[in-house]
Parts: sequence; structure tokens; C-alpha cells
Amino acid sequence: MAMEVEGEEMVTPGEVLGKASDVKAGRGAYLAPHNKTVYASLTGRRIVIPPSPASPDQRPTVEVTGHKAYGAVPELGSVVIARVTKVMAKMASADIMCVGPKAVREKFTGIIRQQDVRATEIDKVDMHLSFRPGDIVRASVLSLGDARAYYLSTAKNELGVVSAESIAGATMVPISWTEMQCPLTGQIELRKVAKSGG
Amino acid sequence: MEFVSPEGLRLDGRRPMEMRQIRAEIGVVAKADGSASFEMGNTKVIAAVYGPREVPNRSQQISDQALVRCEYSMANFSTGDRMRKPKGDRRSMEISLVIRQTMEACILTHLMPRSQIDIFVQVLQADGGTRSACINAATLALADAGIPMCDLITSCSAGYLNSTPLLDLNYVEDSAGGPDVTVGILSKSDKVTLLQMDSKLPMDIFENVMQLAIEGCKAVANYIREILLENTKQLEYRRGT
Repeated sequence: MAMEVEGEEMVTPGEVLGKASDVKAGRGAYLAPHNKTVYASLTGRRIVIPPSPASPDQRPTVEVTGHKAYGAVPELGSVVIARVTKVMAKMASADIMCVGPKAVREKFTGIIRQQDVRATEIDKVDMHLSFRPGDIVRASVLSLGDARAYYLSTAKNELGVVSAESIAGATMVPISWTEMQCPLTGQIELRKVAKSGG
Repeated sequence: MEFVSPEGLRLDGRRPMEMRQIRAEIGVVAKADGSASFEMGNTKVIAAVYGPREVPNRSQQISDQALVRCEYSMANFSTGDRMRKPKGDRRSMEISLVIRQTMEACILTHLMPRSQIDIFVQVLQADGGTRSACINAATLALADAGIPMCDLITSCSAGYLNSTPLLDLNYVEDSAGGPDVTVGILSKSDKVTLLQMDSKLPMDIFENVMQLAIEGCKAVANYIREILLENTKQLEYRRGT
């Protein structure tokens, strides 16, 4: 979609961007249901994105692009980068560090359960052979979880450990989807490795 | 004591419907996610916003929206008497709650579930109208942090002395014992999110005083929008977009 900057319009929170029948609310904008008007929720530049020709809804999308955005919050289905902090028999704890391309300013806690490590042979998963504390893991948010932590899943091929250190302290090289090798000692360690990771 | 002279001038030379000089600055605390300092005459307030961050106390976590917390404090040197107040005195707790409720009304909390937004407001110099200045500073700091808000909340106070409604009381006028009305509104949609009053006031005069305070809020909102837009343009200039 081509981005079209309409004029030099800067908006602040609360300013009217258009009617709900004319435009759709995108990032940095919200729809007030009581009077069907789209308002800005951030400070920044107003941007109108024309609809794609195939779309049945021919209203353009209006967004507000600010130079400051609050730190990312994990959402359902988003891909996160996390650091494993604790490995137990049935789950592993991880601190979420990035949500998609955005860094999290403050850490959020996530949990990878035994049944969410891989899609095959779920009963035979050994947590200690899948993760180690300190590993960097790519995972997707399965749900917002319980009151304690987000539930993360590494069941897809491109999810799993993307970076790990060996006992000798070197960053290991992935050699298969279950193995990583230390370049210094040649020692092979078992991990749930992400595809094209590392 | 005479607060409005027969020529219609106040003790500091203002007309009854005139505000004190407003000054604001964005980004004054480097470590905070958003920060601002706000001055109304001799009242100086600094606000810092952290978040959205993880809720450290799990029992307070809300599963579908963000938790907003606010802490208000006055520096020991901010008044004429250097007072050593313990943390959590009644006035600070009341003003913290007022600021928190006011900010909760404008932050789109449902966009940031299970997270926490901390607002810290500190009064550096007090000369009347501190809670209005705190609310204005908090609004600026939230906008600086990029937290989505449905509108800008601004606040202003008004009073009634010598049979005259007065806008934006200073300390001497505030101490005179007359009624003091503090109003906070969403500036574009004209919704009242905060209304407090001391002393008694007849209904018809109260409406006049409140209307005056609302006009003060709109003047503050215009100034705040100018500050935000100017800051955004400078950021864009530096980024080269």
C-alpha cells in the first residue's frame, strides 16, 4: 500500500481525524462509538493510507505516526524474543525482551510449558534437553496465561532457541533442529533449535 | 483585606480573568519514559512517567487493561516553611488519588493489558494551584511517553473573592478563605473529569466560577498542544524525515 502524507498536518491526542463512515482508525487513532468519530490518541503526523483495490471496504485508513511510542506489550499471537531464566521439569521461565521488532522497556515474564515445546512427540519432551538458563528463545505468545506469566509456545519450526552458550562459554552453532555444537570444544548439546536461527 | 482593587487589578497585577504565566518543557528526566516540567506562575511541578511495565505486585494486576498508579509529593523546600512531612500524609494521598483517577479517564488502558503505568509528580515550588499544575504536567509527560490517550486532560482553578470570580488563584488568594474550584476537563470533548470545591458558593455564582475555570482549562490545553507540536516538529527535524 502506498503511503500518502496528506499535507503537513500534526495532531495531538483528542483531535478529530474524520468520521467513522469516511475513514478507518489505524495506529495511534481510535473510534469513539458514541458519536462515530475517529480521534487521535498520540501526538504526531496524520497519515492517510488509501485502501487496496481488492478490499471490499473502500475507506482509507488514517494513522498517527509519533516519534515516541510506549514500549511494546506482548499480545496474543505475537512473536517474542525471550531469555530463559529457569528450567523445571514441566516448564521453563523466560523474560520477554522483544515483541516483534520492538524492544520491551521493562521485562515481562513468560512460561514455556512442556506441551508447548514442539508439535511432535509431546509426551517425550525433556525440558532440560530443550532449554538451558541464559538461552535466547524465539517464541509466540500462546495466551495471556494465568496471573503469573504469559504462556509462550515454541511448537513451530521457526521458533525455539536462536542463541545459546556452551559450557565452555562460546556461542554455539546449530547443526540440526535438536542439536547445537560448540565451536571451541566440539561438544554437542541438545536444544529445541529454531529454524535458520543463531 | 482587599484582593481586587477598584481599578480591577489583583494583588499581582492581573485582571480577574487572567492566568498566570505558563511555561512547560518536555523531556526533562532522561531516564523516564516520558517527563515534563510545568510552571504556572511561581508554582513549579515536574512529572515523570514509567511504563507500560510489568506489574510487580501480581495481586494488583488487571487482566484486560493497564493499571495506573500515581505518586504525588511536595519537596521539603517547596513552601515558605520547610516542612518535614512523612510520606503518605492525607493530603498527598488524596491528591495522588485525584490525579490517578483523572489520568485513568483519558489513558486507553485496554490497549496495554496486564501492565502498569507509573506517574510520579513532584512539586518543586508551591504558590497555589498545585494540583492543577500536577495534572497538566502529568498530561504532558504521558504524551511525551507516547501512551495513547483519548484526549488531553487539563486542569485549572478559579475562586470567588470580593464579589468577583478570579481565575487561577495564587497562594495569597487561596489562603484568603474564599471558595476554590478546581476543574479538570477533556479539552476537545468538553467532558469534566475532575471537580473539587472548598467552602460554600451559591449555585448561580458557582456556575460562573466553574465556567471561568473551564475557559482557563482550554487556554492551558491550547498551550500544551503548541508545546507538543513544536516538540514533535523538532524531533522530526533531527531525524530528517
